Amino acid sequence: AALTPLPPPAGTDPATPLLCRRGAGAAVAAVAGDAGCRLLTVADLFDRVIRHSGRIHSLATALCEKRLPPRDNELGKSARKCHTSGMLTPNGTEYAQKIPREELTHLTLKLLQAWKEPLSHFNQHIEHHQELPDDSLSKAKQISNMVHELKTGVEKVTEKMQSMGIINNSLTGMASSEATGLSISNEANMMSDSDFIHCFRRDSNKVQSYLKILKCRIMPENSC
Amino acid sequence: WSIKTSSGIQIIINFSLSLTGESPPEKPTIIKCRSPEKETFTCWWKPGSDGGHPTNYTFLYSKEGEQQVYECPDYRTAGPNSCYFDKKHTSFWTIYNITVKATNKMGSNVSDPHYVDVTYIVQPDPPVNVTLELKKPINTKPYLVLSWSPPPLADVRSGWLTLEYELRLKPEEGEEWETVFVGQQTQYKMFSLNPGKKYIVQIHCKPDHHGSWSEWSSEKYIQIPTDFRVKDMVVWIIVGVLSSLICLIMSWTMVLKGYRMIAFILPPVPGPKIKGIDTHLLETGKSEELLSALGCHGFPPTSDCEELLIEYLEVEDSEDQQLMPSHDNGHPSKNAKRIPKEKDSDSGRGSCDSPSVLSEKCRESRALPSTLQTQDVRDVQENKEGKRSWETECIASEQKILLFNNESTKETTWPATQLPDNHLFAYHSIVDAHKITLSTTNVNITSFLVGNEEHQSQYPITETLHDDMEKQREMENLHSKTDQTTVQVIKNRPNDKSPFLNPKLMDYVEVHKVRQDKEPAVLLKHKENSRKSDKYTVPGTSKEYTKVSTVVDHNILVLMPDSRIHHTSVIQEPAMEMPQNLQQGQAEKNMSYCLTVPSECKRETSGSEYMDPSSFMPFK
Repeated sequence: AALTPLPPPAGTDPATPLLCRRGAGAAVAAVAGDAGCRLLTVADLFDRVIRHSGRIHSLATALCEKRLPPRDNELGKSARKCHTSGMLTPNGTEYAQKIPREELTHLTLKLLQAWKEPLSHFNQHIEHHQELPDDSLSKAKQISNMVHELKTGVEKVTEKMQSMGIINNSLTGMASSEATGLSISNEANMMSDSDFIHCFRRDSNKVQSYLKILKCRIMPENSC
Repeated sequence: WSIKTSSGIQIIINFSLSLTGESPPEKPTIIKCRSPEKETFTCWWKPGSDGGHPTNYTFLYSKEGEQQVYECPDYRTAGPNSCYFDKKHTSFWTIYNITVKATNKMGSNVSDPHYVDVTYIVQPDPPVNVTLELKKPINTKPYLVLSWSPPPLADVRSGWLTLEYELRLKPEEGEEWETVFVGQQTQYKMFSLNPGKKYIVQIHCKPDHHGSWSEWSSEKYIQIPTDFRVKDMVVWIIVGVLSSLICLIMSWTMVLKGYRMIAFILPPVPGPKIKGIDTHLLETGKSEELLSALGCHGFPPTSDCEELLIEYLEVEDSEDQQLMPSHDNGHPSKNAKRIPKEKDSDSGRGSCDSPSVLSEKCRESRALPSTLQTQDVRDVQENKEGKRSWETECIASEQKILLFNNESTKETTWPATQLPDNHLFAYHSIVDAHKITLSTTNVNITSFLVGNEEHQSQYPITETLHDDMEKQREMENLHSKTDQTTVQVIKNRPNDKSPFLNPKLMDYVEVHKVRQDKEPAVLLKHKENSRKSDKYTVPGTSKEYTKVSTVVDHNILVLMPDSRIHHTSVIQEPAMEMPQNLQQGQAEKNMSYCLTVPSECKRETSGSEYMDPSSFMPFK
């Protein structure tokens, strides 16, 4: 995508050599202290996190299908209640495009945060239970690591975006997420395994979709 | 009891109602729900029997986590028995609980609940704008680029819906589709398609995570252009031009020198060369004259023919036009006794039969008396019917032996006429031998007889061997063989059979009359000097006479070894002369072939023919 040059990010010294600047959207990876200059655009970063979230989602789907043969009518059988259901998240593309980018980013991070605890609990849980076949077990273990990595990645992207002025530096939403995280994790402990997996699969899809929309939205020329 | 009665009555009423065909509607079933672009979705149901009354269907749904039940917002857009949810009413990551209720006058019935999460029911439309582009890069084979667009409704740009594509193609006449998963890109390069063939291609897509494949796009036909490279065309053009040139040259050559070519390829069967035969006489066709000229009055020829003087007619190439009989040897041309042959003439029988004889004659290159030629001609004429009277003329000087072969071409090319431009044909073998001599200096005569496996004919000059027969046969076959540099003829016989083939050795073999009593003898005579061209020095040898031991197959003259004959001398002579001849021969361009005509040379058993291989009969 053609990148139009952006003015130097606000707050940065204009004289600071932005060696790796490559136009708008270019994440100047010339972070102070970096020996080299890794030219990574924000778009590249987003691609990475999106790919990562896609992997997570695939794993979750595999797990879900192994435990529960996919039958549409089974979906609503149990009173499925995900611990993240209480979060107000856009449930469609329209809404996802309407809300400000910062909020969307924030929500993504919140989601990832909300799953951190339950996943670790789940890992401990399934180790004791021999219900899952071996490969599912390894997959389940992988998931928590991957989610953690994804969260870190999204945070990095957020930083980049903030540093480039694409989004505001408002971190207002982040503070409250910590508080809600605890309550959420409490609820998560009450979920059954199947619900757990189902909910996780859904939320991983959410995260991926939000990231995709975000990637489109940060490019001013894209009409998303 | 009353309750039972009432229920019983109810039952009866219901039963009666069903008997009349009226009942509440049957339970409808929800078939499927689909979202084409992950923004809206539609559900279809299948009604059951309507129970005889018009039935109303009600589509009800509720969302996950909510108790509120809603009715379908749009029954119409998607057709009958469907419910269409537009963008506003579509929520993702939410499970819908859908039921359909059928109501009629008699009652209602509700379908089983159906749960659907829109995220997982996406089935896009097929891709559109399938285009093909043929790319022809330089120095690379052309390839095809197939490109398409996602379905128009899908919002791929924002990333909301990510599609993966798959294409399939098959040759037009093919049976099976070959499916290729393309991924998320919207173009595909096809490299290895058969040129000239027609292919059908189709594409479909699916959401990247959940959902189902779309329908296949409409068929797209590809016609692979035949790969006409300029280089290939140039190559073919060059090949064509060269071939036509070659054909032209060959035809021109054939026209101009057709005869020679034919003789080259199909060497003529040497006609018998009988000394003392005047070809002119033969031409005239008067057998009496001929015979008288021959001086043979009786048949079979008597011994007085032994005094035949052999005249040597040297017929050479243009350089050496020696039509005139050379009387060098001092022999008056004359009676080459000629065994009168029957018409069929194989005047050349003798020579046919005994290649050895011929070769003997050819052993020395001598000038042939013209008379001989004439006689030969005559002889030939007599044999015109088709037999070839073939005579072998040995041109000692050139070491060519002219074979007069009537057979292949009735040509009346008599030596006289032919001489000027003729090739001297010698025995094939001899010629080959000549060639060999040319090529190899001081090759032992026997070496000439490089035996070609196929043709192993020996021409023992003086020895009559049974194998002579075969050799002779083979000699006969020689003419049909293409020219071979190797002397096919003679197989090396350790015992010297005779390097007859030594072209150098061309000698006049005077076939004396064949004694009928027993082995006919063939006179082999060396010609001392003879030639017009002093090309060769004929070793002065005495006459040699070889007896013909037998005639085989009517055309093989089997010679008997004659004690009188000095084999060694004979053999050596050629050896000595060879080098000389070699030089001479090298000057010659044309080789003459001595060929025996196989089949047609029938030899009379008794035929003792005078063969004068030294008389040159230009073969045409």
